[in-house]
Parts: sequence; C-alpha cells; structure tokens
Amino acid sequence: MFGYYFSLAMRSLRSTPVMSALMIAAIAVGVGASMTTLTLNYMMSQNALQHKDQVLYAVQLDSWGAENAANNDSQMPWELSYRDATALLRSDIPVRQVAMHRWGGTVSQENSELRPFTADIRVTTADFFALFDIPFIHGGTWNKEADTNPQRQVVLSKATNEKLFNGENSVGRTINLSGEPYTVMGVIEHWNPSPKVHDLNNGAFNDSADIYLPFGLHRQLQIYSWGNTNGWKSEDIESYEDFLNSHYVWIQYWVELENSQQKKDYENFLTAYIQSQKAEGRYPRPLKFGLTQPSEWLVVNEVLSDDNRVLGWLSLAFLLVCVINAVALLLAKFLRKAPEAGVRRALGASRGAIFSQHLMESGCIGLIGGIAGILLTVAGLSGIRLLQMGRFDNIASMDWVMVLAAIGLAIVASLLAGLYPAWRISRTNPSIYLKTQ
Amino acid sequence: MLKMQSIRKSYRTDTIETHALRDFSLEVAEGEFVSVTGPSGSGKTTFLNIAGLLETPTGGQYLLDGQDVSNLNDRERSRLRNEKIGFIFQGFNLIPDLNLFDNIDVPLRYRGFNAKERKKRIEKVLEQVGLSARAKHLPAQLSGGQQQRVAIARALAGEPRFLLADEPTGNLDSLMARQVMELLEFINEWGTTIVMVTHDPDLARRAHRNIQVVDGQLSDLQRAHVVAEAANA
Repeated sequence: MFGYYFSLAMRSLRSTPVMSALMIAAIAVGVGASMTTLTLNYMMSQNALQHKDQVLYAVQLDSWGAENAANNDSQMPWELSYRDATALLRSDIPVRQVAMHRWGGTVSQENSELRPFTADIRVTTADFFALFDIPFIHGGTWNKEADTNPQRQVVLSKATNEKLFNGENSVGRTINLSGEPYTVMGVIEHWNPSPKVHDLNNGAFNDSADIYLPFGLHRQLQIYSWGNTNGWKSEDIESYEDFLNSHYVWIQYWVELENSQQKKDYENFLTAYIQSQKAEGRYPRPLKFGLTQPSEWLVVNEVLSDDNRVLGWLSLAFLLVCVINAVALLLAKFLRKAPEAGVRRALGASRGAIFSQHLMESGCIGLIGGIAGILLTVAGLSGIRLLQMGRFDNIASMDWVMVLAAIGLAIVASLLAGLYPAWRISRTNPSIYLKTQ
Repeated sequence: MLKMQSIRKSYRTDTIETHALRDFSLEVAEGEFVSVTGPSGSGKTTFLNIAGLLETPTGGQYLLDGQDVSNLNDRERSRLRNEKIGFIFQGFNLIPDLNLFDNIDVPLRYRGFNAKERKKRIEKVLEQVGLSARAKHLPAQLSGGQQQRVAIARALAGEPRFLLADEPTGNLDSLMARQVMELLEFINEWGTTIVMVTHDPDLARRAHRNIQVVDGQLSDLQRAHVVAEAANA
C-alpha cells in the first residue's frame, strides 16, 4: 500500500497546487532557516582530532599572579611561556609533544615570475606532524635536533608546494623566506582542520599554515608570535633573551600520552615542575595545571559560543512556527477531502489506512520541503560566506550528514505537522459525508 | 444473510438524545431483494449505515452471514465491509480526481489483490455496466446515469454478497432510474442480496419484499409479521 499511498499523495498535491506550494514553502523556509544555523553550529563543533581524543592533551600551567587569575573559565592561561615550554620539552614521558606558535614571513623565489607573498608560518617542534597525524606527500619532518639547535629547514603545505614548485617533489630544494634560504625537508598533504583545534587562539576557523619552521630557530631569528601574547603584569623587556625568559605566554603546547599511567606520570612531572618553579619564586598561585582532551578543549575555548547555541534554539523555534502553520493548512486541506475519506471508509479502508494515507501526504510535503529547504540552506550559507568575506569558508557549507539531516528534519517536521490532521480525518464519521456528498 | 435483533441507535448531544432506531429487528435471506421505505428521518439511512458496518448500534445484536458483528473493532469491520458489502449511494460518491478505472480500483486495493487481478476485475465490471470505453474518463465527464453505473461497478468489483443501495435512483431522471433498477435486478438474479432504501413506491414494489420504517421501527404490521415468522421458526 506504500506505493499506492505515495501515488495518492502526489495526485493530491497536484490537485491543490497553491495550497501544496504554501505548505511546502512553510516547511522549506523553516528547514532552511534552522539548517543554516544548525549547519554552522555543527561545523563549528567538529573535532578534527576525534580519532586521537583519548591520547592528546592541551597543556595549561597556572603561572599567573597571586591575585590575578586568568580571565577564562579554566582560570589558567591558554598558552605557556617560552621558558616553561622549553622546560616541558625536556620531559621524556609523552610519546610526542609539540610546542608551537604562529608566525609569518615573506616568501620570494629568485628566477621566478611568482610575486613575493606573505606566508602564514607555524614555528613548531618536529613531533607536530606525527602528533596531529598529518601525512606527507614528499619527504618528512626535520631532524629532532632542529627543535633546539637552529637549522634552516622547512616543511611546506601542499598548496605552498604547488605555488612554489608546481606540485613537484621539492625535497632538498630551497625557498627564500624573509631573505634567507631554507631547505625543504618535506611536503604535507592538504591539512586544514576547521575549527583549528590545535590552535584556537589565532582564529579557530582560519586556514592552517603555509610553511612549518623548526622551533630551534627562535634565538637566531628572534621570532615573536604573530598570535596572542599575554601576561598578567608589566615586565621590562630589553632584549630578545629577556622576552624568552619573561612570564609572557604565547606558546601552545600539546602532548600525546598513550595510557592512564603515562598520564599520571606526566601529571606528577608537571606537579614537580610547578613546585620547582615555586621554589624559584614563580607560580604564586595554588598549584594548578590542565591536561585537556581536544573535544573538551573545543568546549572550554567556547568555539561554539552561547550566542550560537541560542541562535540554534531560535531557529528551531522558527521551524516550530512553520510546522504550526503547516498543521493549519493540512487540517484545512484534509477536512476539505473528508467526503473522499468517507467513501474510502465505506469501500473498506480502516481508520489506520486513512491515517496512513494522509500521513504519507504529509511526508511527501516534507520530502519536497526538505529538498527546497536544502536549497535555501545552501543559499543561506552562501550569504554567510559573503558577509564574512571568506572567514567562514571552511564551515559555512553542508556535508552529506547535514544534507541528510535537512531531509530528515523536514520529513519529521511534516509528519509531526500531519499527525493531528491525519488523525482527525481518520476519526470522522463516514456516514455523514456519504449521505450529503 | 442479515439478522438484526432489537437494534437500538441513539445520538446524544449535551442536551438532547435522539433515538434513530428503536427495537429494530429484521431478517434478510440470502439472495433477497428488499426495499426499505419510510418518511424522511424515520431511520432508514441509520439502518443502512448499521447494516453496512459504517456505524455501530447502541444496543441489540447484528448477525451478518452468521457472524455477530455488533462488537467488532474498526479493523475487522473494515475488512468485512470490504469483502462482503457493496455500497451504492444517491450521490454516486465517485472520487472526482480519479478516472473510472482508478475509482473501481479503490476497494480492490484495500482488499490486497495484485495488479493483474485488479485489472481483470475492473475490466470485467466495466464491461458489465457498459462503460469499458470510458475507463480513463473522469466522473465529471459522464452523465448521472453513467456515474451511477460506475458506482455499481465499483460496488460489484469485489464480488460482495450483500449490496446496500441508498436512494440509488434519487438523482436520476426516470429513464436513467429504470436502467439502474434493471441493472440492480440483474445483479440480484446472479445471487447478490440487495437492500435498497428508496422513496419511490414504484421501485419499492419491484423488490421481493418491502419494509417500512417509521419512527426508528418497522411498521406495526411488519413487526407482527416478523414476530409470527420467528414463532413459526
């Protein structure tokens, strides 16, 4: 009977084109509005490190002043000072560990028609690629020695390699970065997680770096962060060395701990480290550190803000209004067809059959409304991308999950809208209509 | 075929209770053609609705084909209605959006016949009522008499043993009415039991038996006849 009900539903929709269009429009607008918001929220909530959620931890140390708790829910600064980061790097407990920050420079190629361009650079330790599971197309990372001793080596993103070397294997070749030559050690696959869970401090939805540079180059190049640098007090900085030894935080730190014992060992290590720093007069606040998994890191950093959540609920409330409109329209349409339902009852249709037939019609409205809703969602997301001028390019788009969710939402909404009208029509007394039709 | 004993049907609003049928007893034998007459509001249509399992009696017992159907649930009543009962209405009650073929298809769909069986039955009944060539026409493209013949075809497609007709000629001119009546007589000759409500005394007289309903009851004379028959049985 499914096919029969479907053909009846389509016939019924065609027989009242204006009313059908109104109902489809009500569902489509509701789905379009809600899915635009829900898609943004969904994409903002993605965790690119989900597969390593149980082993990766963002490290926080409460290095702030006695009366100056960090101004966030964790009450600890998000990043570490260079001094603390280099101290933690000496631990051999984590399987892998990454100290890193954002930087930038100008890339130019001699004997090339390519115009010099500003590259987004990530200064990081060698473990970065293995810790975040970033595959290489060519070559690999630099030697671990480059994390502490300056070596002019780089790893390129796929896009940068295509720009500079037309996508050829560039390992061993040289790029010119801010006037200095650097040897290409490797080229990574396209890697652009959004949100950028490994660095939420410098635009969670910005693109990943173009070039990766060894951590050991700080002193030689006197690298400052191109991201946030925060402190809780004013400090006299007269030299680059002063900056490296200051309390200012600007290094993001991640560790990979394979099991609970390793985690416990690392917690003991951090405790001992903080106690040693207290002995030197640092860390005046009560001993506190944070080891936060990626999924939790996204939450505490409020990548999906309360405003986004409220907007999500408001969009669902709007969908509810649309559903209520659809209920009224469906009720009017179904009751107008009550005589036909009466005839069908007389000819052997049970109440359940009449209910199913009309619910199918609601479902068809939902299916068509859902498809129209997807088009409206795509249009809405395009509008957001235009308004945000590229900032939301990575997230303001639908994947298959959201396409299916849109159709599912539309069908559920229309079935809900159709429940009462279908029930009403199935409960009407057929004999009334048979005599008076 | 049909046996009603002390059937009661009342409709209740907040303030008024109306007794549509009171102590209504009737027996119709297999193959009979019974006409039902009576003044407007006497309960004829209520009787027909209860007989056709469209309404449930407030009290009494109703046996259809030997089965007590007084307390069946909606699903069972719908199944019985579909398998054993055919309806013909004064207003034809064809579904305007469906062509003749699809109109006749409706009860067969609920019966669960496959497409081949449905097609065979539809073509057969359309031929019986002389409308084979109009299968793809919509009801609005037919005359009243033709529409009623389609309604009869629809009622016959499931090969019911019991046909209920509510003023089947009420909307037709005399010529059309005669044709429809002849068709009903022909159907009855093939063994289908027919109960027909009518206001037309000439048509009523053409049935094997005429019963009169007055104030929700069989008329006194007929009640006495039923009682006597029951005593003889």
